[in-house]
Amino acid sequence: MATQTTEERISERLELSPEEAKLLKEGTLADTEIQAHPRDFYRAMRHGDPIHFDEKLGSWLVTRHEDISAVQSDPVTFSVKHGYSEQQARGMREEFEGYLREHGGGYFPDAIMSDPPYHTRIRKLMENAFTAHRVKELEPRITAVVHDLIEEVVAKGEGKCDAVKDIAIPLTIRVIVEQLGLDQGMEEKISRWSVAVTAQIGAMQTRETMLENAQQIADLQNYLIAKMKEKEANPTEDMISDLVHAEVTNEDGSKEKLTFEEAVSLVRATLIAGNDTTATAIGNLFYVLTTRPGIAELLESVIDDDRQLNRFIEEHLRNEPPVRALSRMTTREVTVNGTTIPAHAHMLLVYGSGNDDETVFPEPRKFDIERKNIGRHVAFGGGPHRCIGLALARMEVKVAAREIVKQMKNLKLAIPESEITYTPTVATHTIESLPITFEAR
Amino acid sequence: MGNLKVTMTDVNAETQTFDDVEEGISLMELAKQHGVAGIMGDCGGGCACATCHVYVSKDWFEKVGEPDEIEFAMLDMVADVMQDNSRLGCQIKMSPELDGIDVTVAPASSY
Repeated sequence: MATQTTEERISERLELSPEEAKLLKEGTLADTEIQAHPRDFYRAMRHGDPIHFDEKLGSWLVTRHEDISAVQSDPVTFSVKHGYSEQQARGMREEFEGYLREHGGGYFPDAIMSDPPYHTRIRKLMENAFTAHRVKELEPRITAVVHDLIEEVVAKGEGKCDAVKDIAIPLTIRVIVEQLGLDQGMEEKISRWSVAVTAQIGAMQTRETMLENAQQIADLQNYLIAKMKEKEANPTEDMISDLVHAEVTNEDGSKEKLTFEEAVSLVRATLIAGNDTTATAIGNLFYVLTTRPGIAELLESVIDDDRQLNRFIEEHLRNEPPVRALSRMTTREVTVNGTTIPAHAHMLLVYGSGNDDETVFPEPRKFDIERKNIGRHVAFGGGPHRCIGLALARMEVKVAAREIVKQMKNLKLAIPESEITYTPTVATHTIESLPITFEAR
Repeated sequence: MGNLKVTMTDVNAETQTFDDVEEGISLMELAKQHGVAGIMGDCGGGCACATCHVYVSKDWFEKVGEPDEIEFAMLDMVADVMQDNSRLGCQIKMSPELDGIDVTVAPASSY
């Protein structure tokens, strides 16, 4: 299956309603309105033009589940290395690189955003730290971190908070900071850094915001480099110490130390990737708990049943995937589901649409924890680049769900749903702020 | 090179037998090395996806044993193709006791 192409398979194109046809013709994922409420646009593409060229973005949007799966299992035709690199600070890349070289200790290309066989070696190195069994061992510690944070929020006694800024963001930062061996108490800084790194693939930066973000990334890199040097001299029990001393095993069995550049990029990726996205998933959890009838009751009813709770979390990730779309680039001309894409074209795999594909998940808007194929969702991507931190992410969301139920009740949105704002980006579907009210349990 | 024997039937019903399998290697890694169709091993052996799902033949299932709760949770996410003898290939490490084991690659979860 690894190199299977999709050239012969063509899905049925459905007739669109006039509104859908108009949306398909005039819509773009660069539109912040569509970014915030994308489902109609996704459906119009899936039904009418499943491999859709978004002119404004200059990217091919892959929207059907089956096509996303096919593309991500062929990392040679569809390159992550080139796709990611094209998307990073798109159109302003040289200036971005130059800034980091001058102010941020160097430009460190993401070692994990690469293609096989190089990618296979780097990935292998990271995998042991993220196995489900390893993550299970962390559960008590993660529970303590999450418990304390929610307890602090509840203890304020105001019965209100910003579920994103006061809970979701600091929660994931505290967990990853502990994993990596960074300093606690830097939540705000790390949150700003995360936003700046993620913005590089969001396709929404002006030159001005790109430079502001580059300054944040330079700060981040300088901080990480100092930490890494410290741990190179005095290793401690954490992932940074592991990474600065890590060796990659080559195909012939010989070993090679990671270069410092590679190590910086991997520490940076681990800090950012596991933090913004998981925070988004937890923010989204508060969103569904406060806006969708029956979900809070459903969560309460499954909270002590591990199997059902796992299914609840998985369905939540399918229903509200934090990562909207990630990049690939064609290395040759290729036909996907009847649409021919030229060589060196930029593509976005729209996971948000794949998880809503009614040919895979009947009644996709129904929150159904009994789905038999729930594991097919693409919230974590798939193929050799499937999210490496998936077990940790699931665990964090699950522990958060448990602690929310244990300590809070009667969660309500404190603003009209229409006033919820989303981060302008094509890469994720992230609520910026979510004021809620609640009662202590 | 080892000397253990493994028989695998892939998703296209093609059967291959490997008789030089090393102790310690997982069935997922073995399948990936030989390009056995239907085994993806996306998460790299972390028991965190379910893309190396196999059915262990009845005679051998007793020896490999039941999945633990973490593995069960992953198998449960592909409930439509899960059977009583389902295991994740990444969690079965070859040992002399498993010499001769026979497994069939499970189909992907349905659409």
